[in-house]
Amino acid sequence: MSRTSVITTRDVRVTYPDGAGGRVHAVDGVDLDVSRGEVTALLGPNGAGKTTLIDVLLGLTAPEQGSVEVLGTTPTAAVRDGRISALLQTGGLLPDLTAVETVRMIAALHRNPADVDEVIDIAGVRPFASRRVGKCSGGQQQRLRFALALLPRPEVLILDEPTAGMDVSARHEFWDRMRAQADAGATVLFATHYLEEAEQFARRTMLLDHGRMLADGATDEVRSRAGAAHLQVTWSPTEAELAVLQEAVPDVRAVEQRGSRLALRTDDPDAAAVHLLTRTAAHDLTVRPASLEEAFQMLTGDDGDAAGRSTDQATAQNPEELLR
Amino acid sequence: MRLTTYIAMDFWRNLRNAGNSFFVIVLPTALFLFFGASMDWSDRPVEDGNVSAWIMIGIACYGAAMATASLAGSAAVELQQGWGRQLSLTAMPPGVFVGAKTVISLAMAALPVVVLNLAGVLTIADMPLGTWLAAAALTILGAAPFALYGLAIGLTFRSDAAVGTASGILVIFSFLGNGFMPLDGVLLDIGRLTPMYGLVALARYPLTDGMLVGMAGPGGTDPLWMVLANVLAWTLIFGALCLLAQRRRTRRQ
Repeated sequence: MSRTSVITTRDVRVTYPDGAGGRVHAVDGVDLDVSRGEVTALLGPNGAGKTTLIDVLLGLTAPEQGSVEVLGTTPTAAVRDGRISALLQTGGLLPDLTAVETVRMIAALHRNPADVDEVIDIAGVRPFASRRVGKCSGGQQQRLRFALALLPRPEVLILDEPTAGMDVSARHEFWDRMRAQADAGATVLFATHYLEEAEQFARRTMLLDHGRMLADGATDEVRSRAGAAHLQVTWSPTEAELAVLQEAVPDVRAVEQRGSRLALRTDDPDAAAVHLLTRTAAHDLTVRPASLEEAFQMLTGDDGDAAGRSTDQATAQNPEELLR
Repeated sequence: MRLTTYIAMDFWRNLRNAGNSFFVIVLPTALFLFFGASMDWSDRPVEDGNVSAWIMIGIACYGAAMATASLAGSAAVELQQGWGRQLSLTAMPPGVFVGAKTVISLAMAALPVVVLNLAGVLTIADMPLGTWLAAAALTILGAAPFALYGLAIGLTFRSDAAVGTASGILVIFSFLGNGFMPLDGVLLDIGRLTPMYGLVALARYPLTDGMLVGMAGPGGTDPLWMVLANVLAWTLIFGALCLLAQRRRTRRQ
């Protein structure tokens, strides 16, 4: 499989009027390179600019600045040729059509559409094919949107919050279907706020906040970028012992005593482990890397503060305070 | 691409919308059978035709205007609810949406005209063949500005309910527009200023040459320029409302 870039953006910027005379920077200078066959998660809180960025990649919104190239051409041309397609987040369906009619109608507008029956089976639309869209559940509508996205037989699939409105089992089923597409060679870029979906499904993760890319790399790497790991030991320290620990490993961030177990969070798990096992009575030590969710919160800042805030003492809690 | 498939499916979708079809086809037909085909005055002469034909044309105008208004209105609502984004992800060139909707609304507008004319032929409506055809063509053509009326409502309120209500109001406009019953006196003076009056008078022109039909027999004439002025004025008003709605929508984004 060639590793050529299928999506390339340089310094893409989109702003909207904020209603008070100013402008909101929805996408604020994004550089993006997605290689063929890659599965990438685009993470970000509501209003981070995910949908706007996706609109730019699909040619639905023209960037005010910067360049976008999709499959060696413009987004509009790639869409017209059916080489890139998308599952859009909201709307996009007519309530008075049945599911199968919707697929047929959109198929009629593609140049070289896939077989309608085949797409209906792949996307799992068959069980409710003759139901009116307005009477379909949210999860069923997402499956229908997925079928529409598959119609042009795209090389690149973009999914905007694809599992919104699905329950857990429907979500699993959806990702199984998605995985089959990715295994068949499709390049997949999906926006989500379910962090476990990025962890389970995407090798690469991008974090977007306030229109800026905060992190972009292998999902494991992005997770460790937040620096934090969780340690647990069996230990009931005194305040003095904790003070010594904090002195030895200054960045210990959060501490919680659960019965005889003590939970710690630190950027330097090695140092903390050495200190705990050699200088204290702590034992039964376990280390767990921080979840993507925690990495995400740290990188974006819980309060929605300016982008790129360092993961320093701002979120740290004093162990003594916590123990009291 | 198979645009004809797309257009046929969208036409069928609008046709089977029970609410639409009731107001566009069933109600006008019922109105005609009641007011136009079974009253004492139904077979009184009007120029080369009769009162039944005169009423049939008016009611067909109502059905055709209903069709274009509700179709354009719901098209605006569809686009704003994200269907337009879905269509943008296909190979359909921009502009084809409007073209397809134009074909569909003209077909929808033709439906009540065809059905009513059939009902007329099968009952007692009577006029020369050329007059039948001219009146039918003017009805469909004259109903086009009501697409702007529906569009303005759809753009402003963005809901199917609003579009339905706006189309429903056309019943009142049709009554005031001299479409259902011959008006006279103050009601006729007011009616002349309402939007349906121009369409109805224009469609009847081949039959009446502008002559007014009153309960008590012929009563004066409307010059053609006045009829056309009504059509033109309301077309401009509806167009301006569309532009206003569009501008307001853009500003809010």
